[in-house]
Amino acid sequence: MTDWLQTTIDGLLDGGSYAIVGLGLSLMFGSLRRLNLAYGATAMLAAYLGAWLHARHHAPVWLVAVTVVASATVIGWYVERLCFAGTRDDAAQPRGAPIAGADGREVVALASSFAIWMQLEQLAVNLLPRHLNAFPSLAASGDWALGELLIRPDRLLVALLAAGLVLGLAAWLERSRAGLAWRAAADHRSAAHLSGMPVARLQTAAFSVACALSGVAAFAVLSLDGQVTPMFGMWVLLKGLVAAMLGGLGSVRGVLWGGLLLGVVEAHAQSLFGAQGREFATYALLFVVLVAPWRRGERGALSGGLRA
Amino acid sequence: MLEITELATAYGKIEALKGVSLSAQAGEVTCLLGPNGAGKSTLMLTLAGILKPQRGSVKFEGEELVGKTPAQIVERGMALVPENRLVFPALTVRENLMAGAYKRRDMAGIRSDIDAMFGRFPRLKERTDQLAGTLSGGEQQMLAVARALMSRPRLLLMDEPSVGLAPLVVAEIFSIIRQLHAEGVSIFLVEQNAHMALKVAQHFYLMEQGRVSFSGSPGELADDDVIQRAYLGQKRAA
Repeated sequence: MTDWLQTTIDGLLDGGSYAIVGLGLSLMFGSLRRLNLAYGATAMLAAYLGAWLHARHHAPVWLVAVTVVASATVIGWYVERLCFAGTRDDAAQPRGAPIAGADGREVVALASSFAIWMQLEQLAVNLLPRHLNAFPSLAASGDWALGELLIRPDRLLVALLAAGLVLGLAAWLERSRAGLAWRAAADHRSAAHLSGMPVARLQTAAFSVACALSGVAAFAVLSLDGQVTPMFGMWVLLKGLVAAMLGGLGSVRGVLWGGLLLGVVEAHAQSLFGAQGREFATYALLFVVLVAPWRRGERGALSGGLRA
Repeated sequence: MLEITELATAYGKIEALKGVSLSAQAGEVTCLLGPNGAGKSTLMLTLAGILKPQRGSVKFEGEELVGKTPAQIVERGMALVPENRLVFPALTVRENLMAGAYKRRDMAGIRSDIDAMFGRFPRLKERTDQLAGTLSGGEQQMLAVARALMSRPRLLLMDEPSVGLAPLVVAEIFSIIRQLHAEGVSIFLVEQNAHMALKVAQHFYLMEQGRVSFSGSPGELADDDVIQRAYLGQKRAA
């Protein structure tokens, strides 16, 4: 029983990391209805810049944190200009007029963000060619004991940060005037234009916030391990995407539940079947959620639209 | 109030508006009739700033609107109720109304206007927290009108508010148009339902194939064969 509880707790704490990396991805997909394949690479290059400052210039931890978040935002802006600004659903395209194909634009966004993913990853590897690179570590020295259960306080902190960011962003989307505008622009572009909203600017803002969040996530997650490898970009994209899809892409609170669910399922699969069972469980879970009949329809996992 | 001169808008190489000139007077309901494909909706989307015209001018209260963004046009006091009941389907009724007031900063005024909309459209009040996508067609049309009114427009553009609605709902929509007119809101209405439009509008235009082909009072409209052309398009030479 204790083992089972311990595994569940470890899973929940891992889930916090998944939720925090999935949050930006879900926000992006929700407001643009485009999948940004360069999302993980953005976080990775930003993390590499932080690691470079840390290793070569002995920058203090706070400066590394600021650098990672700021450079993720700037790199995200570059990605947005290149891959997404030109592939938005065009408001000037009225219903019934000949369209190059919303699908066509989606494919262009996917393909170009894949290319930029490779480019950013190569840049990061050129910056720090070694496989393992030191990252400022904020790992706690000891575990907290709760009876027989052990909790790593630094992991708990990241999980609480994830929950705080998710719930804070959700409340902001629900309550604030700008949050309403973000949701409105994601819901129906033409109606948003006609209501006097600056749609393109709102979407760029959502994209930038999502990229800044990827920087926060990268710093928080990497500071647990104290190191960064070239696999980090792929890890962010994959775990973030699975967490976001489990919760419903575009749903902010959903990412938290998706991340926690993924963490718990993975942890139990690992304790039962070993490391391979962990990977198997991830994709089995994703498959079940994607084809599940209760997820079909308007609010399904792939429906898009931004919601708290 | 609204002066449109020689306005031309094209989709690619296809010119949908071929130089349209017409005007709408303050305090009046002006109605534009015309068969399907005449360019009526293109005109409305051009007026609202969603489509960019190739040439021509749109003056609203003396100010040129061509080249302005949809947001700036809403700010100037002109709001469009688009065709096909374009609401925010994933937002609640109240959030739709809030979105309509996006350009305003007076929170107290917005709140009292929302109450006023619920007074005008009691059906919406019953559905305050329901998602707009789950409303019936008639309710969505009322919500679209209410959302446009939330920007406090001096000129309300309405693109075929009656299309696809049951006769009783159409009657309700037109009684709302009459009410708004009585309250002093100027309205520029695009309609195919000429018989309903005759009861509310003071001036009529007919548009055929991207051009204005008739302008006159309701009396002149009844004399001419305009109504028939509005439904069926140009009579072919025998």
